[in-house]
Amino acid sequence: MWKVTIKGLLARKLRVALTAIAIVLGVTFVSGTLILTDTLHSTFNSLFTSIYAKIDFQVRSDAQFNTKGISAIRNPIDESLLTTIERIPGVEAADGQVGGYAQYVAPDGKPVTTGGAATLGLNFDSNQQISELRLISGSAPTAANDVVMDAGTASKYDFKVGEQVRILLAGPPRTFTITGIATFGSSGNLAGTTLAAFTLPTAQQVLDEPGQFDNINIVTTPGADKAAVQSAIAKVLPPGVQVVTGQTVVSEDTSSVDQILSIFNTALLVFAFIALFVGGFTILNTFSIIVGQRTKELALLRVVGASRRQVFRAVLGEAAIMGLVSSLIGIGLGALTALGIEALLRGFGTTLPSAPLVFGARTVIVGLAVGIGVTVISAISPARRAVRIPPIAAITERPAEGTTQSRRRLIGGSVLALIGLIALALGLAKPAILLVAIGAVFIFIATAILAASLASPLSSLIGRPLARGVPGKLGRENSMRNPRRTAQTASALMVGMALVSVVAVFGASLSKSTTSSVDNAISANLLLTSSNGAAQVSSTVPAIAAAVPGVTAEATAYQGQFEVRGDVESLTSVPPDNLAATVTVHFTAGGVGALASGELLIDTTTATNDHLAVGETVPVDFARTGPTTMRIGGIFQSNALIGSYLTGNAFFLAHFTNPSPAAILLATNGSTAVTSAVTKALAAYPNVQVQTRAQFEQAQAASINTLLGLVYALLALAIIIALIGIVNTLMLSVFERTREIGLLRAVGMQRRQIRRMIRSEAVILSIFGAILGIIIGTALGIALVQSLKPGISVVVVPASSLVIFLVISGVLGLLAATWPSRRAAKLDILAAIATT
Amino acid sequence: MSLIDHDKQTAPAAQAVDLQKTYGSGQTAVHALAGINVTFQRAQFTAVMGPSGSGKSTLMHCMAGLDRPTSGHALVGGQDISRLDDKGLTRLRRDSIGFIFQSFNLVPTLTAEENITLPADLAGHKVDKEWLGYLTKQLGIADRLSHRPSEMSGGQQQRVACARAMINKPDLIFADEPTGNLDSNASAEMLGFLRRSVKELSQSVVMVTHDPRGAAYADRVVFLADGHLAGEMENPTQDTILERMRTMGA
Repeated sequence: MWKVTIKGLLARKLRVALTAIAIVLGVTFVSGTLILTDTLHSTFNSLFTSIYAKIDFQVRSDAQFNTKGISAIRNPIDESLLTTIERIPGVEAADGQVGGYAQYVAPDGKPVTTGGAATLGLNFDSNQQISELRLISGSAPTAANDVVMDAGTASKYDFKVGEQVRILLAGPPRTFTITGIATFGSSGNLAGTTLAAFTLPTAQQVLDEPGQFDNINIVTTPGADKAAVQSAIAKVLPPGVQVVTGQTVVSEDTSSVDQILSIFNTALLVFAFIALFVGGFTILNTFSIIVGQRTKELALLRVVGASRRQVFRAVLGEAAIMGLVSSLIGIGLGALTALGIEALLRGFGTTLPSAPLVFGARTVIVGLAVGIGVTVISAISPARRAVRIPPIAAITERPAEGTTQSRRRLIGGSVLALIGLIALALGLAKPAILLVAIGAVFIFIATAILAASLASPLSSLIGRPLARGVPGKLGRENSMRNPRRTAQTASALMVGMALVSVVAVFGASLSKSTTSSVDNAISANLLLTSSNGAAQVSSTVPAIAAAVPGVTAEATAYQGQFEVRGDVESLTSVPPDNLAATVTVHFTAGGVGALASGELLIDTTTATNDHLAVGETVPVDFARTGPTTMRIGGIFQSNALIGSYLTGNAFFLAHFTNPSPAAILLATNGSTAVTSAVTKALAAYPNVQVQTRAQFEQAQAASINTLLGLVYALLALAIIIALIGIVNTLMLSVFERTREIGLLRAVGMQRRQIRRMIRSEAVILSIFGAILGIIIGTALGIALVQSLKPGISVVVVPASSLVIFLVISGVLGLLAATWPSRRAAKLDILAAIATT
Repeated sequence: MSLIDHDKQTAPAAQAVDLQKTYGSGQTAVHALAGINVTFQRAQFTAVMGPSGSGKSTLMHCMAGLDRPTSGHALVGGQDISRLDDKGLTRLRRDSIGFIFQSFNLVPTLTAEENITLPADLAGHKVDKEWLGYLTKQLGIADRLSHRPSEMSGGQQQRVACARAMINKPDLIFADEPTGNLDSNASAEMLGFLRRSVKELSQSVVMVTHDPRGAAYADRVVFLADGHLAGEMENPTQDTILERMRTMGA
């Protein structure tokens, strides 16, 4: 029986290959993602391991509150602890570490950017056991204005030893002399992070606080009893300070990188799953058609003694082999893709330590399981239909495909749709993403099932404008002829278009909400913010900006993490004075007075959800100053820009040390000259961007659009797979209707008209899928946005985008018809008629 | 039910008892078989004749387990196959019955040899190499075994189908217009082989045909008309058959 299966596959190479592309692409996506994240994990793990290779212990303060997030918040420790530790027997070397924001300014006056990585300042440590910095030229910093630059930055911007370089800091920017250039271990820099190494006093002054260390790294004497040394160190530590092994720090750092990687991983796998899901429809459809075309052959197998089970296994066997081969190709392509993406990251300037691709067993197992699984599961329904073929079909003309199932289909589809809607509603209410996804999958499958009932009337409607000539009319008839096939083919595109529509609705709503939250919260004319994520606005900027003539009012906003009622939240602060001209807070209870008196203001959503009212007192905790309580002094209208918790600057500055301004808001006399005057006054701070409110809104919208573009690009894969499905179906129908097409040609239809007939069918198919998809996607998008209120405050249905999607679908349908229509037009009339 | 002999050893090769097959219902009902009683003896070559619509194909389909009778019994080797479930029918077709079709019906992707051994492969039997060699030699296709159906003439394809029908040494072979698509030479060879297999190997063969020349190769001819048995004839010749058909037509 295997012979029949394998030879059957070989005989249909082209069709199998077309169908297999869907699986190949999906598996490529899955395995590429896994290989890339595995590789990045091992890269970072080995990087951290090499940093802490020789360090036995680290002394640091305890983590503040229960931060489960990316990295724990820790306070600095007093430098006097160092001499105490150095005196402990068994300690060979100990050194205090200081780190913070320090961003180089390139020779062109722009800040040196890293593409997302940090710009780190630290103290230069000549002890090679403790520091990974290796001078490749020049010498260690000795004077207050000396700096050692990382080799990566030096070579990229052509800095030499002895030259001057400006460095942007949390305080005022300063100019330093490059005394040396160093590598980090063997790399140019620390995985993309630029490094500026100062003398210890300078580092403490510009990065942290004088007399303080972030932590102390310790190397023990060879042969010393490490456990004894650790407990000896622990004995001398004041409360709130701990000693941990270097290995602990490595695993903490690795796991915080892993958290980011896992988000990245999940996001990519979601799109891989979507591609495979759409691919599943294509496979289902192809196998259905193949089973239909092989009715006689399968019936013959039954006549000569094949059992139902053998026929079932023959069809599923084909699927399994196809899945296996496609998965293997996909895994191979996945490795290539991962290589490509890694090269791309390097191209963006992220200098990762070179590490070989990690090709884990998990990648192969998951790739094979997913590829074979999707193919086989999709082939189950066609295989069951194959089993139902009676043996007598081998001899007699097969009775017409029963339409008696349409009622069962209607009931089954409705039940699935109901389950989907319930899961979706529960998932959105909770919110539980997995439930939402399951709900969406059910709705898609239900639509695909129910679409068969819609296919005939809707195709007829869509085809009406095309039906003026005979070819268009025939194309329309063809698309109505087998509603089930039309529905299955269109379903793949339906899923793709639905997701695109969800994203469009979500994006438009988010964009609009962001703009309106800016409009609602900000009355200032000018906004000063950091020019990129890594940059910090210097604490000297507000005063400089406020002094510019024409600036009528200035307000600096801060943001920081605090713990309120046991949860880590973000706290925003604004000054009570000048508020009216710069920031608009819509109070529903309490007022500006609460800002001045250092009380906590909460937004209406938090007040409602947590049942809090003005006058109540809540427990809070700050990293530097410890636990205390705050009185709720006011409630304001929810606004995404302000956040849920607000207080006055005086209170904020008392509980956070040297915070960097989150934004500086300026009210001006309205003249455009003021904008350029402010920009000019801040020329020394290239990491600060000066924007009018409109520019700020545009920038926010632009960054949302960038993200949307990325999502569209990832969804494009699903659309491509759906198109391959349409090509495949058309090819099969052309093949199936060889006689009919031959007859049409024989009675005088021109090649051009044949092509038009096939193209009409393709356009109807794709528009049908697109209409279903856009309707469902828009509905899902609205539901999604509604559930995200008040984070997203307005629902926007981008009608123009949706119309564009519809038009694109039609064009893509035309494109998909190119090859099948040419094939149909080329059929030899005599041969076509002679074919049985 | 004294008519029916259930003993596997002595039972006739196949037997139809009050066999009825009705398509549709009510006004539009068509009685393809209107209660037929007929017996096909072992080691005998029986031809079933009759005009189009006489029910000869339906009779064969019901006797071979391809179609279910509306009422009555279809017995093969004493076993009432109208009561078998799908699994039973599958086993029956695989092990006890061989088929030869008008349009050959070979699997186009398999070679001649793979087509011949397909029933044995499906059953999971080891192919009897000696038997395969004998069959292919007798049929004159021993040198064609690695060819695909598309690379063979109609006569050759039908001989492959014939070998396929016999590979599992079935109790009974059903041939449905086996010469319908063959030229006269190939037809004569095919019919000659079927006849030899009855004489030399005691094979039981039932052949549906409307060709008197073909039917003359049979030991016995059964005539059908309008779903009824319309007579039979032992040791027919082409002339006696034609004579009978004339009188039936009149």
